[in-house]
Amino acid sequence: MTLYVKQDSLIHEIDPITKVIYAFVAALLPYILPSHTVALIVLVISIMLLVVGKVFRKIIPLIGLSLFLIVSLVIIQGIFRPDNVTPLFHFGPIIFYKEGLSYGLLLMLRVINLLCAFGVLILTTKPDDLIQSFIQKGMSPRIGYVIGSVLQLIPQMSATIATIKDAQRSRGLETEGSLLVRIKAFLPLIGPVIMNSLISTRERSIALEVRGFNAKQKKTFLHEVHTYKYAKVIQAVLILIFIFAILWRIFL
Amino acid sequence: MLSCGGFSYEKIIVENLKYKYPDTDQLALNDVSFEVEEGEVIGIVGQNSAGKSSLCLALTGLIPHFFNGAYGGKVLIDGIEVKTSTITDLSQKAGLVFDNPFTQMTASKYTVYDEIAFGLENIGVSREEMIERVDWSLKMMGIENIKDKNPFDLSGGQMQRVAIASVIAMRPEILVLDEPTSQLDPQASEEVFRVIQQLSQEGITIVIAEHKMEKLASFTDRILLLYEGKQIDFDTPQKVFSRDDLHDYGVVPPIFTTYCKAMGMKNKKTNTYPVTLAEVSSLLGGENNEWNKS
Amino acid sequence: MKTKSMWSFRLSTAALVLIPIAIGINYIGKTIAAGLKLPLWLDSLGTILSSMLAGPIVGGLSGIINNIIYGITLDPVSTVYAITSGVIGIVVGALAYKGWVNNFAKALLLGLVVGAIAATVSTPLNMIFWEGQTGNVWGDALYAYILSQNGPIWLASFLDSIVVDLPDKLISVLLCFFIFKGLPKNVKRLYQNNQRFEEL
Ligand SMILES: Nc1ncnc2c1ncn2[C@@H]1O[C@H](COP(=O)(O)OP(=O)(O)O)[C@@H](O)[C@H]1O
Ligand SMILES: [Mg+2]
Repeated sequence: MTLYVKQDSLIHEIDPITKVIYAFVAALLPYILPSHTVALIVLVISIMLLVVGKVFRKIIPLIGLSLFLIVSLVIIQGIFRPDNVTPLFHFGPIIFYKEGLSYGLLLMLRVINLLCAFGVLILTTKPDDLIQSFIQKGMSPRIGYVIGSVLQLIPQMSATIATIKDAQRSRGLETEGSLLVRIKAFLPLIGPVIMNSLISTRERSIALEVRGFNAKQKKTFLHEVHTYKYAKVIQAVLILIFIFAILWRIFL
Repeated sequence: MLSCGGFSYEKIIVENLKYKYPDTDQLALNDVSFEVEEGEVIGIVGQNSAGKSSLCLALTGLIPHFFNGAYGGKVLIDGIEVKTSTITDLSQKAGLVFDNPFTQMTASKYTVYDEIAFGLENIGVSREEMIERVDWSLKMMGIENIKDKNPFDLSGGQMQRVAIASVIAMRPEILVLDEPTSQLDPQASEEVFRVIQQLSQEGITIVIAEHKMEKLASFTDRILLLYEGKQIDFDTPQKVFSRDDLHDYGVVPPIFTTYCKAMGMKNKKTNTYPVTLAEVSSLLGGENNEWNKS
Repeated sequence: MKTKSMWSFRLSTAALVLIPIAIGINYIGKTIAAGLKLPLWLDSLGTILSSMLAGPIVGGLSGIINNIIYGITLDPVSTVYAITSGVIGIVVGALAYKGWVNNFAKALLLGLVVGAIAATVSTPLNMIFWEGQTGNVWGDALYAYILSQNGPIWLASFLDSIVVDLPDKLISVLLCFFIFKGLPKNVKRLYQNNQRFEEL
């Protein structure tokens, strides 16, 4: 399971660690400096990177996932924010205020910006490369295994879910019916799958152990992670911007 | 092979092996002793719960190092004592393949090629050697054509061959297989047996627990018969399958043996019944007067 | 035999293998719950089970890694709650070790405690990132109501969280309690790292 899109682009060439740093710095900047302008600038930069990375269209469904949160932020802040004083417009008895809407807008920009910043990382970086980069930076290979395994098992689990749903249909366990009926349907549906997955951990552990999973030797890698010429420079600039933003927030 | 004669060397020595799983009060292995020579193919037979899997685990160090429990006696793999060694070190001496193809995949690699390299990365094999070994394993298993596929997108039989490839890439001199075809369809089973025989021809010592007696009879040198953790017999397939008390141990001999027993067709010289079709037909054809109706 | 502390970071292979399985179980629970249109997330069953089976470190790691991976693959917003998930794993793991899953009554209490703690940890996160809202229809409706009554934002936010988290975590812990009880003993002991074999 991965959102990675294979493309030939400038952004794809950048090494994973640099992109991780970018994602964090870009996502957090509008929180450190709470202004519409900052949020907008960072957002535009992330969008430009997505366009250069030829993955802009893939960010839309990601934003769609959080659409309810985004809309809800603007509406609720617009109506209910405690420091609301200046009415802007109304739908019947519901009044939207300028302060709340403006703040809601900032919150919205922050969320969309967070999604786009991480989008740059996720959509243009192969998960294996990301994991391997972290291992080479000192992350335990065992944790690397865990992450790689999640990405491989989730699609597997999706297949299991399809099987469960078939079983559900054939056993007449409908998704309709009272709440109690549906809650009661839950455990028999997923209980056996959970049991089997837990029991399977024994055999998988054995399979790993007989393939040197607990070896004390220093690990080697089949693939060489590509390096990026300007990695150090970009990373330094990003971190400087981040520090500068924090100082700005504290002292100005 | 046994028949090669001359100098032979004990790859596996098991002496008075006893084992009890944690929280149980019955011995899963009860005083098992046998020796296996380099290049031999050994079949382990016995009914369910006889201790076949436990013995396979004991040969590869999972017993006692993974399962703990209570352990007695001695197992030497290529001169190394299992009790004082580690699973990692033993994995380069004796590889383990078991029945479930799915759980044998690491579930952390996205291509067959990377899957096979997993163990080599762990034990720190250099990149060049890694590539060479993975290529060799792929070729041995005849799976070069699927090397870029996701392991989980394969059929059971293909997955099982990937599992074997992953283990032999560690270059063990012994391969232990615990019912490697019990979850496969007949055609996939055939393929797996074919590659196992090929590995045997490469000189790898093979120990295989299996229920398909016809198969075992056709390519094993000796058979180890287990019953309730105890070693009942360790002899040639002809001898073991000719035993009159085989049914008492829940083992059904190859169909040819059953047939010949019923017909009273016995090899007079060795006083055993045929165990393979080849032996039956040579007996019926009369080309080989070693076999005669008694 | 000296038993190791539950806080040991030296995890057995089985304990590590349990983490991705736990995260997969979280995913199955979440998807099936949504499929049955249940008003609960049920997306932490795996984290809770792994905590019961293998202790606070494995539970905490399951929780944190769960949300980080969701974040980088499916839904970036969930990264924010990695801390909440981690805390849930740690709390269940530590309390289970202290015997809180020995019987139904204790498990019930565990569920309530976990629900309350989850809401408490999520509230500041919600305050920082989305002014205290959660994006859940029922929770946000309550949030809006409290604000309309001139209640403080932190209270609105906490209640927004707790109406969602308390029933969800309570039911989740109880479901996990039943599954845990039904597991064979040789599976339960798999994840402990404090064993040696004895000589016969
Ligand atoms: N993990 C385990 N924990 C406890 N007992 C076990 C375990 N695995 C196997 N046993 C017991 O050990 C005995 C031998 O089992 P096994 O070696 O699996 O036999 P076989 O492979 O011939 O069916 C059986 O009585 C079985 O119940
Ligand atoms: Mg068995």
